Amino acid sequence: MTDDATHDHMSDDDTTTGRRTYRRRRVLAGLGAAGAAGLAGCGGLGGSESDSGSGGGGGGAGGGSSGDDAIGAAFDDFRGSGPLAQGRSDIGGTRIADLPNLSGELTIYLGGGEGGLYRDLLAKFERIYPDFTATPRESGSADAANTIINEGGATPADVFWSVDAGALAAVSAEGLSAELPSEVVDPVPEAFHPDETWVGTAGRARAVPYNTEELSDDDIPDSVMEFPEVEGFRDAIGWAPTYGAFQSFVTAMRLLEGEDATREWLQGMLDAGVTEYNNEFLVSNSVADGALNGGLANHYYALRVQAARPDAPIDLAFTSGDAGGLINVAGASVLSASRNQELAFDFVRHLLSAEAQEFFATRTYSYPMVADIPPVGGLPPVSELNPPSIDLRELSDIQPTLELMRDVGVL
Amino acid sequence: MAPGGGVGRVRGLLASDDDEPNVAVVLLAAGVAAAVLSPLLWLFVSAADLSVGDAVGLVASGTTTDVLVNSLALVTLVTGASIALGVPLAVLTVQTDLPFRRLWTVLAALPLVVPSYIGAFAYVSAFGPSGALPDLLAEYGLGFVNAYIPTVYGLGGTALVLTLFTYPYVFLTTRASLLSFDTTQLEAARTLNHSYPRAFRRVILPQIAPGVTAGALLVALYTLSDFGTPAIMRFDVFTRVIYVELNSFGVGRANATLLSIQLLAVTAVILALESRVSGDTAAGYGTPSSAKRVVSLGWLRWPAAGIPAFVSVFTLALPVGILTMWLVRSGPGYSGGGLAFRPEFATNSAYVAVLTAAATVLFALPVAYYAGRSDSLLARAVDRATYLGYAMPGVVLGLALVFFSSRWLLETFGAGAAQLVYQSLPLLVFAYVVRFLPQAVGSTRSSVLGVDRDLVGAARLLGANPRSAFRRVTLPLISPGLLAGAALVFLTTMKELDTTLILHPTGFTTIVTYIWRVQEAGYYGRAALPALVLVAVSGLSMIPLLKGSDDA
Repeated sequence: MTDDATHDHMSDDDTTTGRRTYRRRRVLAGLGAAGAAGLAGCGGLGGSESDSGSGGGGGGAGGGSSGDDAIGAAFDDFRGSGPLAQGRSDIGGTRIADLPNLSGELTIYLGGGEGGLYRDLLAKFERIYPDFTATPRESGSADAANTIINEGGATPADVFWSVDAGALAAVSAEGLSAELPSEVVDPVPEAFHPDETWVGTAGRARAVPYNTEELSDDDIPDSVMEFPEVEGFRDAIGWAPTYGAFQSFVTAMRLLEGEDATREWLQGMLDAGVTEYNNEFLVSNSVADGALNGGLANHYYALRVQAARPDAPIDLAFTSGDAGGLINVAGASVLSASRNQELAFDFVRHLLSAEAQEFFATRTYSYPMVADIPPVGGLPPVSELNPPSIDLRELSDIQPTLELMRDVGVL
Repeated sequence: MAPGGGVGRVRGLLASDDDEPNVAVVLLAAGVAAAVLSPLLWLFVSAADLSVGDAVGLVASGTTTDVLVNSLALVTLVTGASIALGVPLAVLTVQTDLPFRRLWTVLAALPLVVPSYIGAFAYVSAFGPSGALPDLLAEYGLGFVNAYIPTVYGLGGTALVLTLFTYPYVFLTTRASLLSFDTTQLEAARTLNHSYPRAFRRVILPQIAPGVTAGALLVALYTLSDFGTPAIMRFDVFTRVIYVELNSFGVGRANATLLSIQLLAVTAVILALESRVSGDTAAGYGTPSSAKRVVSLGWLRWPAAGIPAFVSVFTLALPVGILTMWLVRSGPGYSGGGLAFRPEFATNSAYVAVLTAAATVLFALPVAYYAGRSDSLLARAVDRATYLGYAMPGVVLGLALVFFSSRWLLETFGAGAAQLVYQSLPLLVFAYVVRFLPQAVGSTRSSVLGVDRDLVGAARLLGANPRSAFRRVTLPLISPGLLAGAALVFLTTMKELDTTLILHPTGFTTIVTYIWRVQEAGYYGRAALPALVLVAVSGLSMIPLLKGSDDA
């Protein structure tokens, strides 16, 4: 491997070896060595080692929010802790200080909610705006969508904020979502708001965690369809077929490559001795342990592993233009029955503020939806990934996927 | 408590007056049945949107047939296994000189407090791929054994887990029947030189059969309605497929409706079957004790104690052990957000469960009284009708009530009505009542049956009007049954997840909604403490269920 050599060619190399180059950056960022060396690697990407406390982040925040010191100081409050959240100074985007104030009450249906992180963010908004009250209500994303559909015009919800784009699309398809003004959706690439009834707030990419002691980036093909033939994956690749994101990935493959090719791929993976896990954290963790050479998982699980074990030999590869490179999003809708629509629009703009995007990026390791906020850990920015062109709304059609998986014997 | 001879003689005088409950009771009972059936109307409202062709196509499709076959196989297996496990344990703990009987009684009933989704999760973490057991075996160089361990997923695992956590329904009802069984009959049989097994078959079994059937019915219907276990163990039964369909929106919602209606039909068939099997003398959970230890196990005393101990390893030690492991082991490596667990969540859970238990008993009383006092077809229908809601998956019931209490109320009575009712605590309690009414009806009805009508007759003869006779004679006599029913409803309410998630008042966090919240994000470590609290609090409700055994 010649990390340093290719590193320089990164930007003009995107179409052919782009995938490899950002992996290389991650090698530098996360795995250079243990402890201080790892942090120094991070520093190379932006900040410095003096970023304990308010050092690196505070500078950037201060610059962007000159109008309001209290809010500028609050920037660090949004940012997570730990090595992956350090050294981030060049944060662009719109600051909360530059957005209209939030004042009034909103009822927010949370579909999912990432174990309470969404609630945390709402609480932060409430601390900034004493006149703002957000009342969250949590259930599963499909439950929440079905609840809103059954409520129809009687819904008490002003905003529907869901971890799953399919749920947002289902509510929108019933004509229950209001059209978002352009100043709300404009900062987000069109792929993550196919129409104006909902907008992505944070993304998660399908990725290939691999063990850097067993495989090099060159061993991993650009196309996920070739995986069953990869020598390094034989009897050493893992997946979690019951996990929703994996099923979305298979759905995407079904839509992109057709039913037969998908069936063949699943069978090929079984023949290659794929190991089954209960969830993708375990897949990523087993890759770090060396029990697996590689796996199929959402990108953030490898970062979770890395945050807990900074010297773990794990890195991420991304496939290009196929289901393996799918990016799904969490997003928000404003309901047309809401009597607080203006406030709700402003609230959604807050979810896309630099602070909130930084919150998602550094605490859940999600992909920010706003281009000016970089992802953590040396991940390639969304603009450098090459996700398949697929309408995220179609991913809710999982029934044929499940039948296919059952047929092959994956489920 | 036994009726005096004098009272017996005047029975004729009052028979016409007391044989059939009065009109008010009938109306109340029918009203309760109608109220708890009303949410199910939603299924037919939604089904009305479908074209007949689509509906027929769906019902006749291969998936539907598979789901039906799977569901019936699961119900049969779980019910059969629960009887095989519950009845011997009840006999051992009631009729023999087993050492530490009281301890084994508690341990045999306790698995009921473990929510099935936690039980299933514990089993998958222990025996599933890369679970604790395969890891342990691998560590000791026994990794090759792993290839021979049958998969925990599918019919086998689902049936195993459901049996382990629902057999106590059979255990409790059988135990109650055994306790109210007149042991002099057994002694008579023994004096006729019948061996115990023979006497059991000829004398005991016919008398406890209704009790066993009552418990088996609860197991069967619980199995149909449970979502957590088949979902985690990946077995396609009605609940899981309904959930998947609801998740895929669009045409999926229509499929879910049709599948729910089919599930309703299956439930109706099971209820009809059960009516034919059981005479209406079903025993409940709280009938007064008349038990004497009648069987001496001899040298088998101690080895026999191994049976409940062995069962407890799988029903209690294993899930609690896994929870403790989660608690001790640090979670995955990024700082979770959200609220920390607060004692308030536990009091919220207990508060709503107490309200539900009280409301359910109030609803159950007229139904049970009517069903216990009348043999009419209407009485039977009212009694059976209360069981239908029990087999509905919580998510279907929840969405049905969402429809009625928000959109329908808004369109019919205006926004004010919808705001008042929707997402209110009384609505949540009502949803629980619909789900769990049969648990209280069953035990209350059998205590009503256990009340000697001559006593009521005596009270009437002494000048009490029917109301006062009910209050002063019947009510005290059936109160153990009421209490037992309330306790059962309390503990099932504590662990009910789907209905709670959909209908809870905004901001009202309970133990289960908290567990769901952290588990959904994969923080199993943070789910462990509340899960243990849930098991402990629900365990307390076992006390009234097990009262009435005065054995040491």
